[in-house]
Amino acid sequence: MKRKTLLAILPIFIFLLGWEVSARLEWVNPVLFPAPSAIISELVDLFEKGLPAHSELINHTLATLKRLGIGFSVGVLAGIFMGVLMGLSNPVFHFFNPLILVLMSIPGIALAPLFIIWLGFGDPTIITLGALSTFFPVVYSTTTGVRSVDKQMVRAAQIMGATPLQVIMSVYIPWSAAFVFNGVKLGLVRGWMTVIAVEFVAASNYGLGYMIWYATERLKADVVYAGILVMILIYFILDKLLIENVEKKTIARWGMISQKQDG
Amino acid sequence: MSEQKQKPSGLSSRLKNTLDFLFPFLVIGILWEILVRTGVIQLHSLPAPSTLLVKFWELAFVNGILWKHLFSSLYRLFAGYLLAVFIGTAIGALLAQNQVAHDMFEPTLNLLMSVPTIAWIPIFLITLGLGDKTVIMAIFTSSFFAITYNTMRGIEMIDKSIVNAAHLMGLRGLHLFLEVLLPASMLSIINGLRLAIGYAWRALVGGELLAAMIEWGLGKMVYQARYFNDASVMLLGLLIIGFTGYLLDRVFLTILERNTVEKWGMAVKK
Amino acid sequence: MDPIIQIQDLYKTFTENGKELVALDHINLDIPRNQFTVLIGPSGCGKTTLLNTMAGFEKATSGKILLDGKPILKPAPDRGYVFQDYALFPWLTVLGNITFGLTHNGWEKKEAEEKARDYINLVNLQGFEEAYPHTLSGGMKQRVAIARALAYNPEVLLMDEPFGALDAQTRKHMQRELVKILEKEQKTVVFVTHSVIEAVFLADLVVVMTARPGKVKGIVKIDLPRNRSYVEDHYLHYREQILELLEEEVEKGFED
Repeated sequence: MKRKTLLAILPIFIFLLGWEVSARLEWVNPVLFPAPSAIISELVDLFEKGLPAHSELINHTLATLKRLGIGFSVGVLAGIFMGVLMGLSNPVFHFFNPLILVLMSIPGIALAPLFIIWLGFGDPTIITLGALSTFFPVVYSTTTGVRSVDKQMVRAAQIMGATPLQVIMSVYIPWSAAFVFNGVKLGLVRGWMTVIAVEFVAASNYGLGYMIWYATERLKADVVYAGILVMILIYFILDKLLIENVEKKTIARWGMISQKQDG
Repeated sequence: MSEQKQKPSGLSSRLKNTLDFLFPFLVIGILWEILVRTGVIQLHSLPAPSTLLVKFWELAFVNGILWKHLFSSLYRLFAGYLLAVFIGTAIGALLAQNQVAHDMFEPTLNLLMSVPTIAWIPIFLITLGLGDKTVIMAIFTSSFFAITYNTMRGIEMIDKSIVNAAHLMGLRGLHLFLEVLLPASMLSIINGLRLAIGYAWRALVGGELLAAMIEWGLGKMVYQARYFNDASVMLLGLLIIGFTGYLLDRVFLTILERNTVEKWGMAVKK
Repeated sequence: MDPIIQIQDLYKTFTENGKELVALDHINLDIPRNQFTVLIGPSGCGKTTLLNTMAGFEKATSGKILLDGKPILKPAPDRGYVFQDYALFPWLTVLGNITFGLTHNGWEKKEAEEKARDYINLVNLQGFEEAYPHTLSGGMKQRVAIARALAYNPEVLLMDEPFGALDAQTRKHMQRELVKILEKEQKTVVFVTHSVIEAVFLADLVVVMTARPGKVKGIVKIDLPRNRSYVEDHYLHYREQILELLEEEVEKGFED
């Protein structure tokens, strides 16, 4: 166990050490590859800038999280609703499935130029695209889940006197939970990526993506790396908090986790 | 043999499936056209499907710009993706041979695999410049980890008796890899390839859109139209991005699946 | 005899690969009240289809089934059903599964749980109230399923090869358990199986069905006391009788 952890950390440690040394000795261009220590100190600077009233880093991050929060929630709710509808009705499925398959193959950022025309720069465009990017994977997985419901379980509920609505709530929804989580998980990555990427091109002046992009255009590599580090960290934390936690309390406890096979 | 018997009905059912697939697009197209013609929708930013068709005709057959966009995109995609396929499967196979190597790199791979692809693009824009190199590298990076990881897992999960049987028959090295390990882990590898093509597609379009020196590509086509406020080019570009992305998964991976794991009875047909 | 279920001229077809097949061919059958009726026949004879039509899961093409004189049109809690593969809800505990039929029929949660505990005792699963189904063995799962189907007190218990997925040892054990349970809970049972041994051990009445299209080939009344042994003479005699009826059908089945 301990040996495993050590082995796992080793390559990362060597990589970071190698990077640090190469940057310090200028074997690589430190402007393009600032040393990890420089990135960390830049991160601290960004955090401290504007303190005590307004930490710049925190402000950017909160702006992005707010956009993600709204977009993601709307996307998940709408996605589950639409997915249940498509899963229960064959005609609805056959009509919307092709549309969803094609639309979900369009990366969120590609929609940015069009939505900028429609909704302008800033929050409306960013939030809408975040919601859309979350929506599609959630619909897709929920539909798959609902359509795969064990018919015997539906029958069992029916004969015990459950009404159609009760059957949906007490059989279809929990049965699909494993699939829905998979969709929500994918929806979170897609939503997060889209919000950040759309902030690259459509944010007016705040957001983590805006901060990264502003620095990219001015070749301020340390800010770029620091921003990306924050972005990745937040994603991992959200994933743990929102998904793994809920999973542990539900499908893992029900012994349904084997259905989690990702496609 | 049985495949030949099924062919005529298979072809007509495939045609029917294609038509079923396109039907909703047709319905929405017609509805939309009616709404525009009757003046319910009167927006420059939401042109009618007939306008899109005219635009399509112009871009595809009058000046041919569309193909140039499409082919530059596909060229970048395959350059980055195929590189990731070859290097990824090779490294995945090597890591699977050795417990220490596995323990060393498995967590890192797992971590890097789940890094949102968009994170790589600014890094490569800074370090590799604003052109092709950046986009191809972003495609490579976003697909590489998924392929490596799934190859490694696939080979590790092979039934030991199969490997032992191969050893007994004297298979070693590259032969062992190509003739036994690769086919036996195909299910997992295809899983990785499927994940990776999705990541690659997103990295490609995002990269093209964001890399300033790139002139051609579907992502650029959509982005450039912004300067002319040309919604019809954007919509057209988006539709092509959607369909191409979908078909890449459908056609390319389904063909691979049909000729490998399905033929060998390793996967249940969906 | 007072039949609880009357099957009247039941006819059912379904289409497979564009061909219309007759599953049930004008079946007339009375199921006696508070007795154990077994439907037996070669595979594909439509015995499960017949059971599912009684449950209301499937619809008849023509003819009808009456329960206490009223036609069966859809699934309803006057019947209980035990599935071969248990069909327990994996997201509910043992207790949750058993209360399902009660809470969906107007019982208060607390009373439902009390009632469910009675049935947990009946099927000998004390101590597993809070366990999730995936942690139980096959035999235990099927006991939960039986308790679940009995708890809301349906008039008829329909069982579709309930012990078919169990190993031989557990299967015998469960047959004995079922007999014990039914001694305490008077119930009309309709039980589908393809095992003659099981049929003669459990049934008051064995209905032998023909290979497709499914018809009633013969009815054997089993006149044995409840504590049956698998080897005594009378038992073997009934077994022979049913096997003879079946044999012709199995051969017919092979000719298809």
